[in-house]
Amino acid sequence: MILIGENLNIMSKIYGPAIKGRDAAPIQELVRQEAAAGMDYIDVNIGPARKGGAETMTWLVQTVQEAVDLPLSLDTTNPEAVEAGLKVHRGKALINSISLQPERLEKELPLVTQYGCAMVGLLWGTEGMPRDANERAALCVDLVYRATAAGIPEEDIWIDPIVTPVSVDINQVKSCLEFMSMLGEIAPGCKSVVGLSNVSNGTPARLRPYLNRTYLMMFMKYGLHAAIVDAFDEDLVAIARGKRPDLVSLVHRMMDGENPDFAKLTPEEVAYAKTVRVLTGQIVYSHSWLEV
Amino acid sequence: MSWLAFTIPTITYTGKVKEISLGPPERAVKVGNAGCYPFHLFEGEMGNPPRIAMEVYDVTPEDWPPAAREPFADVLSDPVAWAKKCVDVYGAEMVCLQLVSTDPNGLNRPAGEAAATARRVADALTVPLLVWGSGDVEKDAEVLRQVCEACEGKHLVVGPVQDKNYKKIGAPAIGYRHTVIASTPIDVNLAKQLNILLGNLGVPDELLVMDPTVGGLGYGLEYTYSVMERMRMAALTQQDDRLQFPLVCNLAKEVWKVKEVRLDDPKLGDPGKRGILMEAITAVLLALAGADVLIMRHPEAVRLVRGYLAEMMGVAA
Repeated sequence: MILIGENLNIMSKIYGPAIKGRDAAPIQELVRQEAAAGMDYIDVNIGPARKGGAETMTWLVQTVQEAVDLPLSLDTTNPEAVEAGLKVHRGKALINSISLQPERLEKELPLVTQYGCAMVGLLWGTEGMPRDANERAALCVDLVYRATAAGIPEEDIWIDPIVTPVSVDINQVKSCLEFMSMLGEIAPGCKSVVGLSNVSNGTPARLRPYLNRTYLMMFMKYGLHAAIVDAFDEDLVAIARGKRPDLVSLVHRMMDGENPDFAKLTPEEVAYAKTVRVLTGQIVYSHSWLEV
Repeated sequence: MSWLAFTIPTITYTGKVKEISLGPPERAVKVGNAGCYPFHLFEGEMGNPPRIAMEVYDVTPEDWPPAAREPFADVLSDPVAWAKKCVDVYGAEMVCLQLVSTDPNGLNRPAGEAAATARRVADALTVPLLVWGSGDVEKDAEVLRQVCEACEGKHLVVGPVQDKNYKKIGAPAIGYRHTVIASTPIDVNLAKQLNILLGNLGVPDELLVMDPTVGGLGYGLEYTYSVMERMRMAALTQQDDRLQFPLVCNLAKEVWKVKEVRLDDPKLGDPGKRGILMEAITAVLLALAGADVLIMRHPEAVRLVRGYLAEMMGVAA
């Protein structure tokens, strides 16, 4: 699985000011650590970047690639900033993301072929967030049609079904997963990517990794290609790298309907088993889900 | 030909709402105990019917429309007389004392005064008494603590208890043996979490009911409805032990604060009836969503809802 480190973000209390102040040192230190943690890509998230987005992205791409020899995921809603980043990027970049909003399609699809990069196809329509798996499927068909018509090869389209927090609406958590189980038939040849950590947004920080890791294992059942993740969650990286087949097997068996006897599981397995029950909607989420 | 035979789909219920006794044991009113979705009498036992608590204010309401003031014009300044009128004249099975005077953004009356009022009302009543604070996290912690203490032995139902003050109100409620109303802002996950926290604090299940937070008709009622549905699905079909508590809906103050109950516009019909009907409809919808206690204001709205509930429960009205 391809892992994209999410930690370089304009919203961060440390790196936000560093980006704005063009302070390279802390940023380069961060991305070196992300690379050392095993990331395949570095996500550079500068947000909407309405003012000076192009200059910011140019500087940031150069600054990051001076420090690490990795491709970047250019994460902004500003098309000019995306193009500025692509101009100076070494290797094959990933545009994160292109949604079905007309102005984004119009301005950014041509960039994918022009610069020979890949794109995240975000299933966000003109009416906003899809409400279930079927609406995701409909948006996916439209987006892939538009992208391939623009000359983009299927393997350069990474479909993002939009992960939402478990504490907001469990039905969206379930339908995102359901959509992933259908993606291979809907868009053969396309890849997939999820912004994993969003599932645990709103959850107390120390507990977030359980949701992130478990949801990742659930996506792995459907052959997830890539995930944007917290680079410093070592257990998560180990799972993605195939080093925890025991846990993956437990999660997948539960998804197939097995109801394990908790008394026979290790405490670690119990935590993941409880999390599967929350993420499948069998148990209503609460911040104390691991304790009850 | 049997291939056209149709079987009505039925829901498999695996859990039950807890039955909670409100008020002093010798004259307790039982709520909850549902073993099926609200009024799905063809699928199971509904347990106790929704109960109505009539509300009383601790200070003369100045901003109520005439239709709401009229039935209580003689008692608006006296919470004890008002509470007795609800029981003696309008047959209330429960009373809810709204301690609005304590609101720090309003009159900001001291906690001790509110506690004394609660005690006087509790002494005068033979039915269970709910005591509802202003909703201010810090002030309620003080007010409801003093209410719990002043009303020891009265078996009150006190709230709203929120995640930011549950320890300060929960502890005296346990100590003086009152029921607490766990209140969360229209969110099933937060509701479950607060019930877990109250349990960890030591609040026994038999002293716990839930307030899902009510949006009035036209002002978010549908969100409350959906969340109550989710709570009941979890309680009845997912055996979710931490969501199997009766639901208390403090609806009247939401209904009667909206501008539509005051507008003098012939196109909106008779203003004397409009608020009453809005209150009755809100109460009925909440009962359909699973409410176990409806906190109501107008006697005519109460009468309409009682009739509706009796018919829904299969009792001749």
